[in-house]
Amino acid sequence: MPLFSYVVRRILQMIPTVVFILVITFVLIRLLPGDPASAMLGDRALDADVIRINASLGLDKPIIVQFFYFVERVFTGDLGNSITLKLPVMTLILQRLPVTLMLITMAAVIALLLAVPLAFVAALKREQASDAAIRGVFQVGLSMPVFYIGILLLTLFAAHLKWFPVGGFGDTFGSKLYHLFLPALTLAVSLAAILMRNLRAAIIGVINAEYVDFARAKGLRTRIILFRHVLRNALISTITLFGLQIGSLLGGGVITETVFAVPGAGRLMIDSIYGRDYPVLQGLTIALAILVSLTFLVTDIVQAWLDPRIAR
Amino acid sequence: MKTIAKAALAAAFLLSTSLSALAVERGGTLTYGRYADSLFLDPVLNDANVDIWVLSNLYDTLLLPTDDGKGVQAGLATAWKMADDGLSVTLTLRDGIKFSDGSPITPQDVGWSLKRAADPKNGIWNFLISSIDDVTPQGDKTVVIKLKHTDPAILAALTVFNTAILPQKAFEASPGATDADKAKAFAEHPISSGPFVLKSWDRGSDMKLVRNPNYWGVGEDGKPLPYLDTIDFQVIPDDATRILKLNSGELDGAEFIPYSRVDELKSADNLNMQLFPSTRVQYITLNVRPQLGGKDNPLSNPKVRQAMNYAVNKDAIIQIVTHGVGSPMTSFMSSATPLHSGDKPLYPYDLDKAKALMKDAGVEKGFSTSLLVLAGNQDEIGIATALQQMWAPLGIKLELQQVDNASRTQQYRDGTFTMREAAWTDDIADPNEITSYFVYSPNIQALHSGWKNDEADKLFEASQKEIDVKKRAEEYARIQEIYNADGPIVPLYQTPYPVALNKKVNGFLQIPLGNNIFTKTWLAK
Repeated sequence: MPLFSYVVRRILQMIPTVVFILVITFVLIRLLPGDPASAMLGDRALDADVIRINASLGLDKPIIVQFFYFVERVFTGDLGNSITLKLPVMTLILQRLPVTLMLITMAAVIALLLAVPLAFVAALKREQASDAAIRGVFQVGLSMPVFYIGILLLTLFAAHLKWFPVGGFGDTFGSKLYHLFLPALTLAVSLAAILMRNLRAAIIGVINAEYVDFARAKGLRTRIILFRHVLRNALISTITLFGLQIGSLLGGGVITETVFAVPGAGRLMIDSIYGRDYPVLQGLTIALAILVSLTFLVTDIVQAWLDPRIAR
Repeated sequence: MKTIAKAALAAAFLLSTSLSALAVERGGTLTYGRYADSLFLDPVLNDANVDIWVLSNLYDTLLLPTDDGKGVQAGLATAWKMADDGLSVTLTLRDGIKFSDGSPITPQDVGWSLKRAADPKNGIWNFLISSIDDVTPQGDKTVVIKLKHTDPAILAALTVFNTAILPQKAFEASPGATDADKAKAFAEHPISSGPFVLKSWDRGSDMKLVRNPNYWGVGEDGKPLPYLDTIDFQVIPDDATRILKLNSGELDGAEFIPYSRVDELKSADNLNMQLFPSTRVQYITLNVRPQLGGKDNPLSNPKVRQAMNYAVNKDAIIQIVTHGVGSPMTSFMSSATPLHSGDKPLYPYDLDKAKALMKDAGVEKGFSTSLLVLAGNQDEIGIATALQQMWAPLGIKLELQQVDNASRTQQYRDGTFTMREAAWTDDIADPNEITSYFVYSPNIQALHSGWKNDEADKLFEASQKEIDVKKRAEEYARIQEIYNADGPIVPLYQTPYPVALNKKVNGFLQIPLGNNIFTKTWLAK
């Protein structure tokens, strides 16, 4: 059972990570200049109001005391209340995170659907016109900033062709998928480009390996060789890359959600930074950090499953 | 004969088109793009414009602002009378007014709502009605507001969002132990006294309001207001996306159109680009304390401040930053603020005069100073770089310190800043709010600048109690004279609210205080 013990080991390894995340989020956010009361009340605030509100938020207590209160609350699932929205942070995260997850999942699926077949074509037609064309297009996709891709797609497919709505978020599941398609595509472009480049190189490497020559010599059909031997082996490094990219997808998601008016966690994060909404900022950072750690965990497990040597 | 027939036909045609242009049409959903969502829909405990600007659609006040935002008209009260001694106001409630759940709006609800709003423990807006001592119902239609002292702004205050009337019983029946908890619960499913009721609110995405079937207002067609069935507020923070949605017809209206796009949208066939007068002013605050960071502060010399003012070409800044949408300020308060005085732009560009003033002040060679700029804000960076060039001929070396808003606020509050960019919008149709912050030193040391003028302080205190309208106007005229000549700001420009509407939208109003008023808005089919 090497895979099982590997998974257990990896899960245990996450504990110090989570503790580290808690300390870092708490400290970093406290190091930001400004206080929530001033952010809430703005330039017109009177000093007495600032002091009163900071006290009501417990911000007048020593920082170490605040930290222990914070940890205690986090472990009871209470992330506090939003200062600006006056709602429990947990409620907000549960409302917004699924939207972001849906967006990122769609982006990941689109990226894979684009990257895998194109990487094959590019690798098999290496140094030919179609390879050059595919690589060229993706090079452009990779070098353009996410917000620019977003605005281009919006202008073309939503404003001119009217195939998709110009942002927003639908009511039903179907309309949500429809609304999220352009933002997901925006996010998928650069991810697909990165995956495609990596997978193409990996496929080229694997195709020239001796065991592929051996498989060919055995008389296996090309399709079986490609899927069972080439793809499986080429995917290992690509999957690592894919897992690592989920973190940056969350970053790109912040911009995409703003451009496309998607009410996800990224937008909430931006709003809470501007509003110095400490509880929301903390809660979101913790939730996203745990999410990214989980992604890495799943990546490692999938890797170990594809290549059992890793689990040993 | 033929000519007469033609003329008659033409006349009939003209008459019918002008009639149809006048006739309001009922029903439909208006989709409106906002730059940010509301946060908390309680009139008393909210703290942001994004709330204030929609609250007037949900809750009515005793009096309503006039369309120009400067006066008052009947709201839930149809008659109001200030006592001769100025120490009480008697208001008569409209007949048969009801909340959206059908329960009557009573003098008890009014008294409770106003007292809650005036409680210093509740929110940051209580100062607007801090003069209220007590509110007592008289019979079933009359309310008497007793004042601690005469307050010339009290009628204007009764149109402000925080004096909105809420149902006492329903509010108190909301779950929660404290007023703040109850407000949270109530604001999720509010019972309205205004033209619309909250139907759904998907935070950060959209908010739907539907017509209040029990609203008292009557439309031009003799039937109850509002005309619209639904308003759908969609939150679209990105300017470009908001405009794209407007162009593609997915939105009927959009707020906060960037100044750079105003001209382009003015010429769009399907759009009606409106610039509503606003009380927003843009200016630079100077720290005028004699010493800053242990060094003598040249900005403490009024002549230096005047020189800096004359050296700024405001028209050029208006062109660069607002693409010509703004206009020069004629006083520190906007021309849309009541009792504003002044008809000439402040400190017209005059470099020679500026240089002479610098010489007079003994700083002919200039000095180095700095300006806090909000990092990433293109308007602020544009203004700052223009100022850098405009002050250079005076020998003033301006260092731009790009900081985030929290750092800026901190330095501002601590009084350690040198100069900062800022903007202001009034919340009440009275000059007392802006004056208390800009001029009156006991409040926040005149925008934390350290500026103090005894005469202006005394005039402000007097104006807060003066009920003789003419005398009060004179006091404000003098305050403006003093401040405009000597005050700690470089006034830059005032700007309107740019709102782009589809041509089928009629009767939308944004008053100078920013409130979006949809009560008489209708959609042509």
